[in-house]
Amino acid sequence: MQRTTHRPHFLARSVAVALATAVALTATACAKSEDDASDKKQSASSAAGAEQKAVTPKPGSKTCTIDAYGAKKLDLKGATVGFSQSEKEANPFRIAETQSLKDEAQKRGVKLLTANAQSQFSKQITDVQDLLAKGADLLVVAPLNSDGWDPVLQAAAAKKVPIVTIDRKINAEACKDYVSFIASDFVEQGRRAADQMIEATGGKGEVAILLGAAGNNVTTERTKGFKERVAEKAPGLKVVAEQTGDFAREKGQQVTEQLIQSNPGIKGVYAENDEMGLGAVAALKGAGKKAGDIKIVTVDGTRNAVQGIVDGWISGVVESNPRFGPLAFETLDTFTRGEPVAQDIIIEDGTYNADNAKQDIGKAF
Amino acid sequence: MAEAALRTAPPDRARLLQWLQTYGVYAGVALLLVVNTVITPHFLSAENFRTQAVQVAPVVIVALGMALVIGTEGVDLSVGAVMALAASVTALYLGYGLLPALLAVALFAAGVGFANGALVAFVGVQPIVATLALMVGGRGLALVLLPQLEDLRNPQLASLGSGDVLGVPYLILIAAVLALLVAFVVRRTTFGRQLLAIGDSRPAAELAGLPVRRVLIVVYVVCALLAAVAGVLATARLQASDPTSLGNLMELSAITAVVVGGTPLTGGRVNIAGTVAGAVLIQLLTATLIKHDLPPSWTQIAQAVVIVCAVYAARGRGKR
Amino acid sequence: MAPPAEVLAVRGLSKTFPGVRALDDVELTVHAGEVHALIGENGAGKSTLIKLLTGVYRPDAGRITFQGREVSFGTPLEAQKAGISTIYQEVNLIPLLSVARNLFLGREPRTRLGLLDFARMHREADEILSTYGVRVDVRQSLRTLGVGAQQMVALARAVATDARVVVMDEPTSSLEPREVETLFSVIRRLRDQGIAVIYVSHRLDELYAVCSKVTVLRDGRRVHHGDLADLDRIDLVSTMLGRELGEVREEGQTKFSGDHQIADEQPVLSARELSARHRLHGVSLDVRPGEVVGLGGLLGSGRTETAKAISGSLQLSSGTVTVAGVPLRGGSTPAAIRAGVSLLPEDRKSEGIVPGLSVRENIALAVLPRLSRFGLVSESRVDAIVDTFMERLRIKASSPHQKVGELSGGNQQKVLLARWLAMNPKVLLLDEPTRGIDVGAKAEVQKLVDELAADGLGVLLISSDLEELIEGSDRVVVLKDGAVVGELTGDEVTEDRLMRTIAGETPPRDTDEEAVTHG
Repeated sequence: MQRTTHRPHFLARSVAVALATAVALTATACAKSEDDASDKKQSASSAAGAEQKAVTPKPGSKTCTIDAYGAKKLDLKGATVGFSQSEKEANPFRIAETQSLKDEAQKRGVKLLTANAQSQFSKQITDVQDLLAKGADLLVVAPLNSDGWDPVLQAAAAKKVPIVTIDRKINAEACKDYVSFIASDFVEQGRRAADQMIEATGGKGEVAILLGAAGNNVTTERTKGFKERVAEKAPGLKVVAEQTGDFAREKGQQVTEQLIQSNPGIKGVYAENDEMGLGAVAALKGAGKKAGDIKIVTVDGTRNAVQGIVDGWISGVVESNPRFGPLAFETLDTFTRGEPVAQDIIIEDGTYNADNAKQDIGKAF
Repeated sequence: MAEAALRTAPPDRARLLQWLQTYGVYAGVALLLVVNTVITPHFLSAENFRTQAVQVAPVVIVALGMALVIGTEGVDLSVGAVMALAASVTALYLGYGLLPALLAVALFAAGVGFANGALVAFVGVQPIVATLALMVGGRGLALVLLPQLEDLRNPQLASLGSGDVLGVPYLILIAAVLALLVAFVVRRTTFGRQLLAIGDSRPAAELAGLPVRRVLIVVYVVCALLAAVAGVLATARLQASDPTSLGNLMELSAITAVVVGGTPLTGGRVNIAGTVAGAVLIQLLTATLIKHDLPPSWTQIAQAVVIVCAVYAARGRGKR
Repeated sequence: MAPPAEVLAVRGLSKTFPGVRALDDVELTVHAGEVHALIGENGAGKSTLIKLLTGVYRPDAGRITFQGREVSFGTPLEAQKAGISTIYQEVNLIPLLSVARNLFLGREPRTRLGLLDFARMHREADEILSTYGVRVDVRQSLRTLGVGAQQMVALARAVATDARVVVMDEPTSSLEPREVETLFSVIRRLRDQGIAVIYVSHRLDELYAVCSKVTVLRDGRRVHHGDLADLDRIDLVSTMLGRELGEVREEGQTKFSGDHQIADEQPVLSARELSARHRLHGVSLDVRPGEVVGLGGLLGSGRTETAKAISGSLQLSSGTVTVAGVPLRGGSTPAAIRAGVSLLPEDRKSEGIVPGLSVRENIALAVLPRLSRFGLVSESRVDAIVDTFMERLRIKASSPHQKVGELSGGNQQKVLLARWLAMNPKVLLLDEPTRGIDVGAKAEVQKLVDELAADGLGVLLISSDLEELIEGSDRVVVLKDGAVVGELTGDEVTEDRLMRTIAGETPPRDTDEEAVTHG
């Protein structure tokens, strides 16, 4: 009985897969998008002057050495590095992140194995185990979740493979379960967005915040930094609305439409990512506003958002640097040579505003 | 003679439930309008109503198709994926001009709808499973075709998204025309009647010689086409094709609108006016909470409460 | 000997539903060890009374005294725990659970660790069921059993819960004759154990076979009560219907006239060597215009399958069906309907009516494409057809827009007949057309079948009611195990001959040993 009830599911699935493949093959064959003529799609991450720098570590911050970690020294050249990406390379951030690691590996002549978990945590766990099985000497992981890493950490520890995590932290002990954590300081990004907003609005008036997805640490930290800085430097700036746009452009547009309707006095919108900010731009255009009527500040630094500054719709963009390649490999290099590395490494994020947007747009990802 | 129609509820409550199921959604909309007029600043303005209508239009269009599918005692989980697919196909073929791009979108959507319908009608897969496969596959395909968001600058597409006739945006006009059309089809055509009969009792419909498989396939194709229309309109409004997030959770919004609007999930009945009102109710609810800056979790809770009420009202009036 | 104790007493019970006074000041007294017939036409209030007794509904007024204490049950479960068990018309067990699990649902034997004691459950289930003549693998899921066997499981379950009163609501409607016999022996055993049985049925034979007392309801009131033996059949029917004695006598048991004028010797329906895997083995039969051909046989003999095969809803492995000289494409209901074949299915509720749609939509359902242009329905033409047939078949509904699900069984059946008559069929296949409908409607349906035959339709009649089969048919084709075993014509069509043909060579004693495995 059970076998027969499963058959349709299997059938449904295989039909869907077959259909999708067939359609994908035929569809792209004669497709013609608007941009086919232009050469817009240059490799963003290889753009000059965009490599990543670490913020100078604060004195007294904890470090980690290879002896303390219990691994063996090796020469990074000739070693195999495994990289486990968390989400599909469907958004500019992930694309730039993966590309940056690949570029840096090529530059240093290191063999890089990559895997993508497609936003499924269970797949990421098997991905990392696969990378270990395929002989990775070192691991770079962009974790999807913070928890649930025990099986992987045990497997890595058994093989004494050092792990560096990037952009999200895992809940484990630094320098024991993993070596270092490299990421942006999201609270700092919020603070700097507040600086931009204060400058754009003159520090007075009502502003709205387009929050990211609920329950995400990026959302909470970018909000916290922004509000802290506003309270401290510009008490005249009042946050009248905080609504989620789920990091998506359409949702950002819809929420902004509602907010400017009921709060006509709004002078600024702080969007916690570029997509929502661009959605806000679409909403303002739709409502017949002119560029600059309402100041928009966003975080991320994608090309579209920086173009928005050039066009005058966006006042400022705080970069969240996706190019972890150079810094990750430098950390691994230092570490495997036996020198100490910091346990928490903060990467330096840039800023785009009306002054530098035009010349720096090439750096945007 | 009356025994079959009798219910366990005492007369007053039964009548209240019946009233609630038929008119509850309109009462809810009226209540929200009144409350907002009183407590929400700048609510009574043409601009505001235009915003709400424009935002709800894609949901209404998807919900129309969903109502038809639910009328056959099915469900279509792939509508959000079809919206995403419509967005990426639009971007992919816009180089030929808007019309050819729309034709391509229609072709893709009809393909997905046909696959859904064929799985349900011929293979006999349960609708929830069949459309789940297309939900995953459809969005996957959309992302294969267009891996990331792409800005679109076609002026015709832009005017489709933001243009108007005598101050009424195209979006609203299209949604209204489609709603009237679907209501007409349900009420006045053989297809509509057969759809309801199939939803109420498929074995009886089969023995009565109705073209059950054909009707089912057409229903799923129509649902996919409507979702594609919604996808194109949302894309036109955004002036960007965003297959990653466009239409996310749309299937739930559409099902909610249909159920809140008094169409039972057990099939055999389709309430188009109620479905439109259901979508408007959810839209107003969301708008109210956003405008008063209540935490987003409240929106979800409020939606849940509305669904529970609708299901409760429908409970006493299941089939048989 | 002291008179048996009064186990259940109902006084002044009333219940009103919107627009209907379902029960009005009803009394009912049931003694231990008594089989009490509760009868009335559809809508008389039987089901409402049962539902009040078993805690499905709450009464508006009145008292229920059970074993000397006044009771008020909130749910059927409470009633069951107190000792009132019910077996409904439709089996309401859990089809996916095993037979044994169903039998012990809610009171499963446990091991010392608190786990289900399957070994004991299966052993006991086997023992219990064998006393009901059911020999099946109790580990199988319930749905693999025939309806009759399922009914027996339901009965065994109801009795096994230490019931003092067992309510049976049309328990035999899906049973074969020999299963009915088993049921009766169980009922007699219950009676001897001092358990009271409230027995609801439309079949008068059954009432006289097992019941001692009777309560008759009509329009929500008790119109008669007393010993069943004091009331002969005709009196009973007239009390139920509230009609004059003479009128009922004159009408006889069925409304059939008996003979029909065969309009044409050339058959309008001709089935040749119909075979379907495991179901039919080379069934052939002819129906001529104006002729009513009965299809006899036990439950599971292939009667329903034959009708379904002719109507295209059962896939044939071989064989041909010819309608008015034109061969039919097999396995297509629409093709059969276009050719003029109409089937009134056995399972009216799930395969016939579309319960949520109105009377009007149900009547117009099949004929709709003919009343439409370019897919648009002509409402005026629909109204014309609906009005015609509602009047001609005397369909009683509050309006054409009332839901069919709300009508009585008889009116539902008439709606289905109207649906097919609107198609102007050449052949009518009637599968149990009068099952579960009240006496009045039954007579009307039977009369209608006569009229239709007189109009030149070919009719194939399936009925478990032997009387109906004999009086209604010109010829009877008898099936057994999916094959034709005999045909009775003219004077041969008698109850005696029919029984003997159905029984075949096998003496009835032996069949008892054969367990009730398939329905």
